[in-house]
Amino acid sequence: MSIDPVATLLSLLTTFGIAAMIALSLNLEYGLGGVPNFGKALFVSIGAYTAGVTYTRLMPLLAGQEALTPCGANLGQALQVRTEIIRTLPVVGLTNFFVTLLIAAAIGGLIGYLAAYPALRLKDEWFLGLVLLASSEVVRIVVRGTEPIICAHNGLSGISQPFLWLPTPFLRTAAFTGLTLVAAALCYWFAQRIARSPYGRMLKAMRENSDVATGLGKPMARTRASVMIVGSAMAAMAGVFFVTNVGFASTNDYVVGLTLDIWVMIVLGGLGNMRGALLGAAIITLLDRVTAITAIQLDMLGSQFEFNYVRYILFALILLVMLRYRRQGLLPEPLDTTGAGKLLARRPPPSSAPGEPGKRAAA
Amino acid sequence: MTFAQLVDSLVTTVQVGSLYALMAVGLTLTMAVVKLPNFAHAELITFGAYAALVVSLFVTPNPFIAIGLAFPASALLAWLAHRTVYRPLQRQRASTYVLILSSFAVGLIIRYTLFLFADSFDLFDKRIQIPLAVLLDLGPLRITNIFAWVVPSSIVLVALLSVLLNFTSLGRQMRALADNETMARVIGLPVDRVVDLTWLLVGGMAGVAGALWGFYTFVDPLVGWLILLPVFAAAVLGGMRSFVGTIIGAYVVAFGENTIMLLLNQWFGLDFSFKPAIPFLIIILVLLIRPQGFAGLGRATEGGKA
Repeated sequence: MSIDPVATLLSLLTTFGIAAMIALSLNLEYGLGGVPNFGKALFVSIGAYTAGVTYTRLMPLLAGQEALTPCGANLGQALQVRTEIIRTLPVVGLTNFFVTLLIAAAIGGLIGYLAAYPALRLKDEWFLGLVLLASSEVVRIVVRGTEPIICAHNGLSGISQPFLWLPTPFLRTAAFTGLTLVAAALCYWFAQRIARSPYGRMLKAMRENSDVATGLGKPMARTRASVMIVGSAMAAMAGVFFVTNVGFASTNDYVVGLTLDIWVMIVLGGLGNMRGALLGAAIITLLDRVTAITAIQLDMLGSQFEFNYVRYILFALILLVMLRYRRQGLLPEPLDTTGAGKLLARRPPPSSAPGEPGKRAAA
Repeated sequence: MTFAQLVDSLVTTVQVGSLYALMAVGLTLTMAVVKLPNFAHAELITFGAYAALVVSLFVTPNPFIAIGLAFPASALLAWLAHRTVYRPLQRQRASTYVLILSSFAVGLIIRYTLFLFADSFDLFDKRIQIPLAVLLDLGPLRITNIFAWVVPSSIVLVALLSVLLNFTSLGRQMRALADNETMARVIGLPVDRVVDLTWLLVGGMAGVAGALWGFYTFVDPLVGWLILLPVFAAAVLGGMRSFVGTIIGAYVVAFGENTIMLLLNQWFGLDFSFKPAIPFLIIILVLLIRPQGFAGLGRATEGGKA
């Protein structure tokens, strides 16, 4: 099998960007805030299902055409219509894409908000993880059995990335990769801002001991809800990139396995460290690709060994080794050097303090 | 809906409910005694099913021996996971989330090792072969020999476990550990030994449940994972610590999945593809509305004892 290095690199970068966005969102929720989101796949899938609806309903309207029912008898025709629009009308395709991002963020945020409130009623904290895990499967089963969203279990093809109008395949891929990386960079900047802000310190206080934080007058319920809103909106936007990268919306993509992959990324990279989330996303994306290629190569060589299974064992081993021997991750959470932390760092060492008021004032 | 369909769904409820009960009491025991929500419980079930399948295919078709060997196989696996993964983590005072993640990882390793194994020996979607026979045929009520195998074995095992918990010194020690670990250590309970034995017991019961499940349906590396969340739903209904509550919960989940699903299908035209959502909805609703489940029903204080 020949591998086109440029195309492979671009596709790797796109996958990395998407994984990084989801990992950053989970790192905000769990790494900083300690909210155990075992339903990450749900929030990613919201982006995919939103895209499924906007690509079939909104985009034809934007292009001044009639929206056809995407499933059943009109399946082929509807697919042709949306592909044609993206290919010939760049403005419509791009507008639709960005509107989809906004709608996905809004719905994701709303569901994140709804998911955060029941947590207050839960007796044990890990129950929230179980509730989110169960919710993510419920939504998947409901969408899989409901025709209008993404044609039930058949899935919906033609959820293309919005640069199909560019002349060459290289340009199309490169443009989408660029857009994904810009989005990932924005998410990183935003997450980093949060981590270093007073709000970020409040999140850490919630993670460490929410009773103490409540005692200090911090609104823990609101904080948990707000970090779920931010994280879920980010994950839903990443979901739009995810589904347009694949080009096909299917409920089979948003399973517990996806959630676990993201957890492996942040545990490997470093909980609470945004650079760690990027590093974890990069390593896991690369390993995922390497194992997939190895599996194909082995298959072509006529080997009976199913290497794809090894991928899961490998990821699980990474998770176990990290949890056991390096729970802080490859890049540990940075010491807090903002605000109060910075003031403490600036204070002169105690030995020089007595009898030298001049020095103290200068500091 | 015919009467026969309804009766049939009730028979399935009893059969599946008994198996869920056998699986869920083990899960509840792990959560109560070891304080670990073990998501790898699924793979202990699968492992037992494969152990029984391999025995019945290559050694002897005698179902007694197949079930009997599933017990030690899964028991050893559970003990191994405890010694290599869970105990070191718990000694480091790892948080519940870390333990949950590690149990997911343990489950993945076992599941995909089984995938590799099944792939090499072509053991996907296999049934543990015992000739099907109808023992009792009263028109709508048909009892097969599989039913006669699965239901009494499950009930006997659950009853034995209940006797062990209530009337033996090991059972008392396990309950003491479930109630208050620090106090159990203070009074000199051999905590490590009790936990080891708990794991062997939990693993073995999961293994037998898997073997019986293999009689009932089929054996596949995913089989445990697919029934894990219904089993969790049963444990959640039991408040994650009540023994009786868990057993009732298991039958409630099975009833929801079979009889209620049938009624919903007949009355509202709900497609059967929604069936897996029922246990998930039970988990969500119970945790939100009544997190103690059936535990403590009819008691003055909340929170039942194991």
